[in-house]
Amino acid sequence: MANVLSHPIWRRLAAVPPAYYVFGLLLLTLWLARPNMLNPNVLGIFVRQVVPLGILVLGQLLVMRVRSIDLSGGGVILLINYIITSRTFPEASGLTFVIMALAIGGAVGLLNGYMVAKRRVSAVIVTLAVSIILVGLVQFLSSGKPPGDVPKYMNQIFDIKYGPLPLPVLFWLACTGVMWLVMQQSVYGRYVEAVGESAEAAAFSGVPVERTVVMAHVLAGLIAAVAALVQTGSIAVGSVRVGLDLPILAVAATILGGVVFGRGEGGVWGPFFGVLSFALLFVVMTVFGIDEPGKLIAQGLIILMAAILYGWRSKRG
Amino acid sequence: MIALLRSGFSARRSRHGLWGGPLVIVVALLVILTLGTDQFATRENLFNLVAQAMPLFIAAIGQMFVILVGGLDLSIGSVISFSTAILSLDGPAVVLIPAVFLLAGLVGLINGLVITRLNVHPIIATLAMQYILLGITRFLRPVSGGEIPQVVIAAVQGSVFGVPLPLFWGLIAIGLAAKILYGSRFGLHLFGIGGGVAAGMEDAARTYGIRVDRNIVLAYVTCSLFAALAGAFLAGRIVSGDPNVGLLFELDAITAVAIGGTQLSGGVGSLHGTVLGAIVMVLLANGMNMANVSPFVQTAIKGGLLLAIVGLQSRKKMGL
Repeated sequence: MANVLSHPIWRRLAAVPPAYYVFGLLLLTLWLARPNMLNPNVLGIFVRQVVPLGILVLGQLLVMRVRSIDLSGGGVILLINYIITSRTFPEASGLTFVIMALAIGGAVGLLNGYMVAKRRVSAVIVTLAVSIILVGLVQFLSSGKPPGDVPKYMNQIFDIKYGPLPLPVLFWLACTGVMWLVMQQSVYGRYVEAVGESAEAAAFSGVPVERTVVMAHVLAGLIAAVAALVQTGSIAVGSVRVGLDLPILAVAATILGGVVFGRGEGGVWGPFFGVLSFALLFVVMTVFGIDEPGKLIAQGLIILMAAILYGWRSKRG
Repeated sequence: MIALLRSGFSARRSRHGLWGGPLVIVVALLVILTLGTDQFATRENLFNLVAQAMPLFIAAIGQMFVILVGGLDLSIGSVISFSTAILSLDGPAVVLIPAVFLLAGLVGLINGLVITRLNVHPIIATLAMQYILLGITRFLRPVSGGEIPQVVIAAVQGSVFGVPLPLFWGLIAIGLAAKILYGSRFGLHLFGIGGGVAAGMEDAARTYGIRVDRNIVLAYVTCSLFAALAGAFLAGRIVSGDPNVGLLFELDAITAVAIGGTQLSGGVGSLHGTVLGAIVMVLLANGMNMANVSPFVQTAIKGGLLLAIVGLQSRKKMGL
């Protein structure tokens, strides 16, 4: 048995991020159960729904590559959504909102990065605490009631389609492509890889470890701000609950895509398929009538299974 | 006693951590609240406070065991909600009460085994468990409701000679934890394991013959059992099962432990510090309630407090 499992082909197959298998499996399930749902128009709508998640994942995979984590995305999305929908700034144009969103995301990312890299505080605790502060702030400002409407033009941009391809999906693809180039071609990408492999070795080789980690968190914050803008475009009315489960889904999709705390076999496209898997998972669950408790359990199990797979592999290796 | 007191303030690295800070804060808060408001130092408010404080008290003590070995249990909030849901099911108390602790122990066992045997980071393992258990809880009890066994309600809301029972439960929980932490080999080994982890030498305790994996698993089981106790207590207070009652409880517990001078990197901490940390949290909440601070702002302030406290704790490792 052990001989068969150590055969190069099996090893090769075991190194493929689980996201690809899960994606294939879900596609097959859907094809068997509801073949008529497998047309570009229907799938386009489902994929469009996970675009905010897909963009948030780009930041998550960056911080997870440097052995950190960012759970503050939910708070960032909520705050930006509140600012846009509450009419706190009635005169603000679209560009002003974009700049404000990026400023908020960047500031939160800088705080996270400073606490994690310079103060050496546990990243989970820092980002969770930041998220709680932001959520508390928004709920206080809105007294727990939903704020106003989303500006019309944001919904209109979100609804643009080129043939069967919705604009948000194309935007997501473009963002992922840019991230892929950054990781593949830039010096910063190399730094991220080096810090992920071993922060100590990277420091001895002259890599600015702390700056790399701070930068990863700032970028993750900016990306969360972009995700917040897309998320806001996807809904008609503001909400005080929007996006709160996205960070944990982003962690799950990233792990599923083969990026786990310093290990990055999955690259950028592994987590991309991780997100697509979640899009399909939600469709399959809806088809089979599984509701919210089932979804929570599935999320937890996916995180656990993917983490166990990597823990088992790293122990063996 | 004086030597012990002094160790709480000394910068010399003591196993108990700097618990003198929270002691000063507790005294200061007591003075401020007594002088600043006339409702605080009343018999009802103080007794009420004890009953309010107890779930956090118990949960924080449980969390401390896990933090001492350099771990973290993010699933206790879900364990608490889960316990109230189990207690609110139809069935006799003799079945439900043992079931709560059995299932919670099982959750801790799974957490511990996944972390030690399958090599998963504690935060990821318990985060996944938080979601799985929350899903199961929402399945059992989608919205709050159901009936809690009379025994549980009586044990939480009753009083003996005018002294409310929660006070006794708190003393029992502290006594039990003191016995485990300071009066058993297991407790000593927790400090040993955590000290090694904090120094970046995970194998240090093993070379001294400590069964590291087994003790870590036991720490997670202990944590879950204390969380279940907190859940049972809450069930008695709210008299129903509630799938959301434990939400964010893990962070309150972690904040309480951290305020008490216990280092999140492991190996340094104390029961008295944790108790003081929990008291700080409760007094702050009580003070803010009396000052009519919005509950949303209170949440934000608690988050800021957690951020500030962990920001003061330096450690070697960067990242998670």
